[in-house]
Amino acid sequence: MKILFFTGKGGVGKSTMSAASARQLSDKYRVLIVSLDPAHNLGDIFGVVLSHKKHRFTDSLFLKEVNLQKLCRDYLQRETRVLTDTYRYLQTINLDNYFSVLKYSPGIEEYALLTGIEETIRSEKDFDYIVFDTPPTGLTLRFLALPWITVTWIDRLIQIRRDILGKRHTIYRIRGILDDKETILSYDENDDDILKRLKKLKENYQDLSSLLQGEDCGIVLVYNPDTLSLKESKRLIDGFRDLKLPLRLLINNKIQTKYKTMADHVDSAMQALAPEVPIQRVAFSESLLDGKNSTLYDIPEIILSPLEMK
Amino acid sequence: MISSLYRWIRRFFADFDATHREKAAALTVIEMEELENIFALLLLGAFTGVPSPPTFLAVELLPYMDRELKILCKRANDCSDMLAEMCGTIGID
Repeated sequence: MKILFFTGKGGVGKSTMSAASARQLSDKYRVLIVSLDPAHNLGDIFGVVLSHKKHRFTDSLFLKEVNLQKLCRDYLQRETRVLTDTYRYLQTINLDNYFSVLKYSPGIEEYALLTGIEETIRSEKDFDYIVFDTPPTGLTLRFLALPWITVTWIDRLIQIRRDILGKRHTIYRIRGILDDKETILSYDENDDDILKRLKKLKENYQDLSSLLQGEDCGIVLVYNPDTLSLKESKRLIDGFRDLKLPLRLLINNKIQTKYKTMADHVDSAMQALAPEVPIQRVAFSESLLDGKNSTLYDIPEIILSPLEMK
Repeated sequence: MISSLYRWIRRFFADFDATHREKAAALTVIEMEELENIFALLLLGAFTGVPSPPTFLAVELLPYMDRELKILCKRANDCSDMLAEMCGTIGID
């Protein structure tokens, strides 16, 4: 299974490009396209009403819009359950429902989105391609960075935990006993609950991180032939490089013949930033403006052809 | 008479051994508690305004953190008189 993330500045045509690519891929493969953008317009492009459940568009093309609010709710419900289980005794005096305030925690969208992506990848194994249409730059970089950030934190915590266990072992060898009046303290890595849990969590996030950095995953960067778009794309390319995420294709979208010089300039600047990545050019569709084109996902260029040739 | 003297000598050496072992381990115990304090502080830093790791890590590990939390609270209590704490640690009376 291959996974593609369409990224780029707001309004460059990520959704249209991802929709057109998914449509073209579905001639040969089974494809699922998922919109992660809270301001969904995947449904508008395909002319159908979508929800968080899979919608069958053709036999080989399925569409889905992720409901960010629902994802956040599910994510927090899981976290709240851990807390409620820990403080189960509060149920006897009816105080356990106070944890429900957690649903107003700030900064959880990224985690919820990441969990959503992870679940989609793990549960939709029978597709050949999963295409993700992502929200604009800022949020996308933040949630794609999360597995790496989390693993870094866990690594530091594991190191400190190992130091603690090392000290405990020294004390055990000098004194022979190791307790804090109530419980016997563990000094072996295999007996320490915290270290065991940390290692398990690290394993999970490393799996996800290596999946995102692996051969079967790829970032497609969409941009327009203008200076603003070029500047933001530069930042994105730097961000992907820092996170070791594989950039597979650049799409210069909305090229008009009269501004061809600008398009060439932007393309050469982009090529200098990512020399090994192929560029696909997509012409600006005049028919979009005269209102005659009702199928927005029909684009004459075979968008992912440079990838297939590779 | 001889057996009671023998018992007394044995106990004397046992206590002597234990005292010295306790003394030798004392500093490492303090180091260990400080590390546990730092671990708790890093993980549950949001309590004190320290930038904290992803929240879910704190929640995931919370069920196992009772000892670390106790040490964190003890340290927070003692921190008003750190000089006395340090003097106690290095054995200045």
